[in-house]
Amino acid sequence: MNLKALKDVLVITALKSVPDFKRNPLMIFVIGLISSLPLYFLVIFGGQLTYGLVGAMVSTASFIGINAAIQEMSWDRYAKIREMIVAMPVHPISYALGIALAPLILSLPCLIFFEGIAIWLGALTPLSLAWSVIPLILCWASLSSLGFLISTYMQKSSPYTLNNISNILGIGLGFIPPVYYPEEMLGNFSWISTIFPTSNAASLIRVYSGSLSLPLEMIIARWLILILSTAVFAVITVAKAKWREP
Amino acid sequence: MEAVKSTNLSKVYRSKETVEALKGVNITIEKGELFTLLGPNGAGKTTFLRIVSTQLLLTKGEAYVLGYNVTTQPEEVRKRIAVVPQDVQTYGNFTPWEYCYYFSLLRGIPKRRVPEKAENALRAVELWDLRNRTCATLSGGEKRRAIIASVLASEADVLMLDEPTSGLDAVARRNVWAVLRDMVEQGKTIVLTTHIMEEAEIVSDRLAIIHKGTVIAEGTPEQIKRLAKDRFRVVVEGNLENLGLTENNNHTVKFGSKHIIYVKDEDEAVKIVGQALKKGLKAETARVTLEDVFVGLVGGEMD
Repeated sequence: MNLKALKDVLVITALKSVPDFKRNPLMIFVIGLISSLPLYFLVIFGGQLTYGLVGAMVSTASFIGINAAIQEMSWDRYAKIREMIVAMPVHPISYALGIALAPLILSLPCLIFFEGIAIWLGALTPLSLAWSVIPLILCWASLSSLGFLISTYMQKSSPYTLNNISNILGIGLGFIPPVYYPEEMLGNFSWISTIFPTSNAASLIRVYSGSLSLPLEMIIARWLILILSTAVFAVITVAKAKWREP
Repeated sequence: MEAVKSTNLSKVYRSKETVEALKGVNITIEKGELFTLLGPNGAGKTTFLRIVSTQLLLTKGEAYVLGYNVTTQPEEVRKRIAVVPQDVQTYGNFTPWEYCYYFSLLRGIPKRRVPEKAENALRAVELWDLRNRTCATLSGGEKRRAIIASVLASEADVLMLDEPTSGLDAVARRNVWAVLRDMVEQGKTIVLTTHIMEEAEIVSDRLAIIHKGTVIAEGTPEQIKRLAKDRFRVVVEGNLENLGLTENNNHTVKFGSKHIIYVKDEDEAVKIVGQALKKGLKAETARVTLEDVFVGLVGGEMD
């Protein structure tokens, strides 16, 4: 990637975040509110808030990853803004990265808020906080790549269909696997948490915060699964990222 | 060197059914001219524009922009073109200024020069006073001009505009025409598609009429108009039988009580007008328009 391509990533990130933030600053709270909604029920019904906070962080990262990738790309295609950008000296990977980074930046205040609360409640230490950032980034990258793949393979679908798919996936991956609740609740099926990038990331964060203990080989395996799934999605996305229609 | 050149350009869409959108199109657009692709809906204008703007792969033939092959050198082509797609929509949260600013940066224009470029473009489309209003609050014509400004702010040598004035009112449309002609005066090449005949006639240096994927006529608007075997039209309101003419005449078109009679020369036209006026009918004559020729060509009535 050359300097122009990197600069384009920043320009697209700014293009996709600065005007929205300037005119609609409340959106940063909305992003966090969706993810923090389960915390309300956890508090009311006596669940473990510390688990919920990890879940809120992970689901924020995953939700913005998959939603941005699918919704922004499908809107740009529908509105034909993508056609304008295709005809510019912009690499498709710069465009994809810019689209993915913009909501991540917009969600940073929420992520920082959740992490601050987690430290205050003792769910994370400053050291485990540092470790928690890596699974969060991998989870975001993995689901962004998955989103780009879906929008690439479903180019002919309407933006409404794609929006529905992104919402189903975002909510499904954030709320159904053990993201907000401990994987131990699944008993013999706790291995399911390794399948999904969201629950895998949540379990790794819990490992480093001390609320989940796993053998070292299991921890390494989980890291590998998370890294490999992200890499596979990213490689397929890069390979399939073509500006031109056949 | 030509700005755009296509040789035997063909495009076949293969989905449930095969559609041959372009059939061996040969078009040469010189640098510094405003060239219009005119054609009915589905003629292949947009397909041609999307191929030469590197958005769509061609099936057969070759296409070049400023000497660069659109298939093998798309990056070089993209550095030199700017595109306004058909029916492009705007980001509601964007201002016209932001359109020019961000899109100019993406084109690689140095940041220090972007404000000047953006200001010039916004002044050219008369949006300077509205530069900080969000697109959600602008009219349809103003939104379209914001998009056009973002293209004007680019340093692209070849501008490709797909029906840029569609949906605009007459005043807004004429503003855009003026801007386009100014760009040509500054040495830019513009490739325009339209199905507005007046637009093609007024703004084009040359034009091509595309019908069912084939170029059926090419030249200046005057050259195209000369393709008609009947050079004059007489518009008569009332019953043609009073003039000894019938509505079944091959060169007569009827719109309610109005008739357009196409005739070979001015003398014949003046004669019919005289007869009509004597019979108390309303009548006037004029040279055939580009629309008359176009309808004749795509309807197969011309020679």
